[in-house]
Amino acid sequence: MRPLVSDATRLRFARNGNLQFGLAMLSLLVLASVAGSALVPFDPLDIDFGQALQPPGWPHLFGTDDLGRDVLARVVASASVDMKVVSICVLLPFLIGSTIGLVSGYFGGWIDLIIMRFVDVLWAFPFYVLVISIVGALGPGTGNIYLAFSMVVWISFARIVRGEVLLARRLEYTQAVSVLGYSHARIMLRHVLPNVITPAIVFMMADVVLTILGVTSLGFLGLGIQPPTPEWGVMIAEGRNFIQDGWWISLFPGLAIVFVGITFSLIGDGLDDFLRPKP
Amino acid sequence: MAKHESVSAIIAKCGLAGLLMSGSVCATASAATLRLGVAGDALTVDPIASSDNPSIWTELLIYDQLVRPSKDGTTLVPGIAESWTVAPDGKEFRFKLRADAKFSDGQPVTAADVSFSLKRAAGEKSEWGRFFRPITSYEIIDDHTIAMKLDKPFTPMLNNLAMFSASILPSKLVEAQGAAFFEHPIGSGPFVLKNWSRGQSQDFVKNAFYWEKGKPSIDGARIEIVPEDNSRVLKLKAGELDAIVGIPFNQADTLKSDPNINVTVATVFRVDMVQLNTTKKPFNDSRVRQALNYAVDKNALVKGVLRGNGTVANSAMPVMAYHNTDLKPYPLDLVKAKALLAEAGLPNGFKTTMLVAAGDVTQRQAATVIQADLKKIGVEVELQTIEGSSQFGTTKSGNYEMSLSYATSDTIDPDQSVGFLVVNPERANAYHTQWKNERLNELYAQERTTPDGELRSKMFKEIEVLAHDGAPFIFLYNPSSPYASRKNITGFKVMPTSNYDLTDVVIK
Repeated sequence: MRPLVSDATRLRFARNGNLQFGLAMLSLLVLASVAGSALVPFDPLDIDFGQALQPPGWPHLFGTDDLGRDVLARVVASASVDMKVVSICVLLPFLIGSTIGLVSGYFGGWIDLIIMRFVDVLWAFPFYVLVISIVGALGPGTGNIYLAFSMVVWISFARIVRGEVLLARRLEYTQAVSVLGYSHARIMLRHVLPNVITPAIVFMMADVVLTILGVTSLGFLGLGIQPPTPEWGVMIAEGRNFIQDGWWISLFPGLAIVFVGITFSLIGDGLDDFLRPKP
Repeated sequence: MAKHESVSAIIAKCGLAGLLMSGSVCATASAATLRLGVAGDALTVDPIASSDNPSIWTELLIYDQLVRPSKDGTTLVPGIAESWTVAPDGKEFRFKLRADAKFSDGQPVTAADVSFSLKRAAGEKSEWGRFFRPITSYEIIDDHTIAMKLDKPFTPMLNNLAMFSASILPSKLVEAQGAAFFEHPIGSGPFVLKNWSRGQSQDFVKNAFYWEKGKPSIDGARIEIVPEDNSRVLKLKAGELDAIVGIPFNQADTLKSDPNINVTVATVFRVDMVQLNTTKKPFNDSRVRQALNYAVDKNALVKGVLRGNGTVANSAMPVMAYHNTDLKPYPLDLVKAKALLAEAGLPNGFKTTMLVAAGDVTQRQAATVIQADLKKIGVEVELQTIEGSSQFGTTKSGNYEMSLSYATSDTIDPDQSVGFLVVNPERANAYHTQWKNERLNELYAQERTTPDGELRSKMFKEIEVLAHDGAPFIFLYNPSSPYASRKNITGFKVMPTSNYDLTDVVIK
C-alpha cells in the first residue's frame, strides 16, 4: 500500500520554514476566530463610560476605546468577522475566475477572444477604484462586498488559469485523452484542471493579503461592515479621532491586519515552493 | 499715518519673532492677521441661497444687517440701522440708517440698498422668502430712513431682519453684475473677502470703511479649511493656527492642559435629536415614540459623549428665549418603555434603521450608545452611515425610519426653531417627521402676532409641552460648543448663534 504522504513530500515540508511558520500563524488566527470570544472575558459591544480610554494594562490588555469597550475583545471578535468575509471574497473569484479561465483556454477561438478582451477591459481599471465604486453604488453590506470583489478579482484567476491551460492543451496527455474520445467536461475537470490549478492556489494566498486590505479599507471608509459589529478597518477609522489620547484603539487592529498579511504571504511563498518544486 | 503705524508694528513683532522663526515666515504673514481653522468651507456667499453653517458664518463677516443679536444672544442691538421704531399696532417698522455706514468700496449704504436687499430676500429665488414676505411695502423716506409696512402684526419680524439672509447688499452692483457679484462680494460688514481658494482657505482684509470706529482691530483674517479634527487641533498646538472652532469633546479636555491655549465652551442654540418618521410603522404610534424616549439614557450621553458639555434636552427646542424650564426630560425608565411598547402591540420590540452622518465622531458615538440602549427594550437598530450633505435630502424625501440629527437657531427668537422643528405643514413639516398637532399649529399662528411678553412666553412653553408629549423625536441633549485660541489672542468669541465674531480680536 502506498503511504498517504510520501517521504519526499514530508521532506519538502520539513525544509519549508515559510510554510510551517505561516501555517502556525494561521492556526492562531483560526483559534482566535473560532474560540476567541470565549477566551476574552469582555463583551465587544459592552459600553461602559466609566472605563473609557483606559490604556493597555490589566484587566484590559489592549486598553479600552472611547466608549469603554474592551479593545482586545473587539480585535478578537473582528477576526471571525473579517476572516469570514475575506474567505468568501477570495473563494468566490477563485471559483468563478478559474472556471472561466479553464473554459476560455480550453476551447480557444472566438470564446477565448471575447472573454479575454473583456478581461483586458476590466484590467484597465484600478482595483480599489472599481471595488469602492461598486460598493458605493450598491450600498454598504457584506452581500455587496462579496459581489464587488467577485466582479473585480476573478479576472486575475482567469488569466492565470487560462495561461496554464494553453500550455497544457498542447501537451501529449491532453491530446491522448482527446483522441480517446472523452467528453470536453471530463478532459477539463479530470485531466487539465489538476495540472493547471497550482498557480491559482498560490495566487489565492497573495489575494488574501490584497483582500484583507481591501475589506478593511472599505470598513475604514464606512462602506464595509457597519458598526457596532467590530471590524478592524472600522476600529482603525474610529480610533483615528482619538489618536492623541488613545493610540491603542487604532494600533491593535492595525497590527492584526499586518498579522494576517504576513501569515498569508508566508503561506503563499511556502506553497509556491511546496507545490512547484524547483529541480 | 495709519500705514506707518501698522508697518512699524509688524517690524517690532517680527524682530522678536524673527529670533524664533525663519525670516520668510515673518515676511509673508503679517502679525495682525488672525489664522482661524474651521472644519468646512462655504458653498456660496449669496445670503439668500445659503443654509449651511460655513456659508452663513462667512456671510456674517462680509455683510451687515439692520440689527444684530447682542453678544450674549438675549436681545437685539443696532447694526447698520442706528435706531428704529415699531408702530403701536405692530404694522410699521421704521429704520434710521447710520450716516457713516459705507460699503467696502466706499459707497454709502442707503435706504434703496435696504429695500432692494430685503425684496430680494423675500423673492422667488430666496430660500428664506417666508421670513420676509410679511413685509408688504417699503417706503424710502430719505437716503437714510426707510419704513416697512405689514398687513398684520408679525412679532418675529425684527429678529428675522437680524439674520444673515437679511444682509444689506449694494443694490447697484448686484443689479449690474448679477450672480458674478458673489465672486467678489462687497458688503458693509467688518471684513472684505480678498481671496478664496475653495476647499482650502479664505483671506479677509479689514473693511477700511466699517462704521464701528476702531474695529476690527486686526488687519485681516485667514480662514483655513481643515476638515480633520486631529489636524486642526495639532495645527493650533503647533502655532500654525491662532484659533479653531468645532473641537471634538474628547480633545477639548486634552487641549485645556496646554499652557499656550485657552479653551472656551460656548453656549449655543442647538438641540440634538433622533428624527422619527411618523408616516412609517410603528413610529406612527405615539406610545412607541415615547417608549424610545424612555429607553435612551440621556444623562449617560451628556456625561460620556459630551463629557459634561451640555444638558439633557426636554423637548425639541434649543435652550433660548421663552424656554420651558419647568418641563422635565423623559427619564430613563426601561420598565415604562417596555410597557408602552407592549401596549402598542410590540412586546418583543422591532427592527429599524437609523441614519448617521459619516465622519462626525460625536454623532458616531451617540449613535452607538443609542443603539445599545434601544436594544435593551428589544428594538434592534441598524446604523446607516450617510454623507452629512445628503442626510437632509434623504430625510426630506421621507426615505428613512430614524435619523440622528440636530438643529441650530440663526436667530435669538424661538420662532425659527419652532417653525422648523415641530410645525406641520410648514417649512420642513416638523423637521421631516411629518408629525402634526393642530393645537400646536394654532399656537404657532398666534405666537407670531402676539407682542413679546408673558402671553407669547406661555404659548412657546405650551408648544414645548405638546412637542414633548407627541415625541416626534427622541430628544437627546443641548450641547455646548468648545472652541480654542492661543494665549496671545483675545476677543475671539463663538456666538450663541454658532457663528464667530472677529471684530474684537486682538493679537498680542
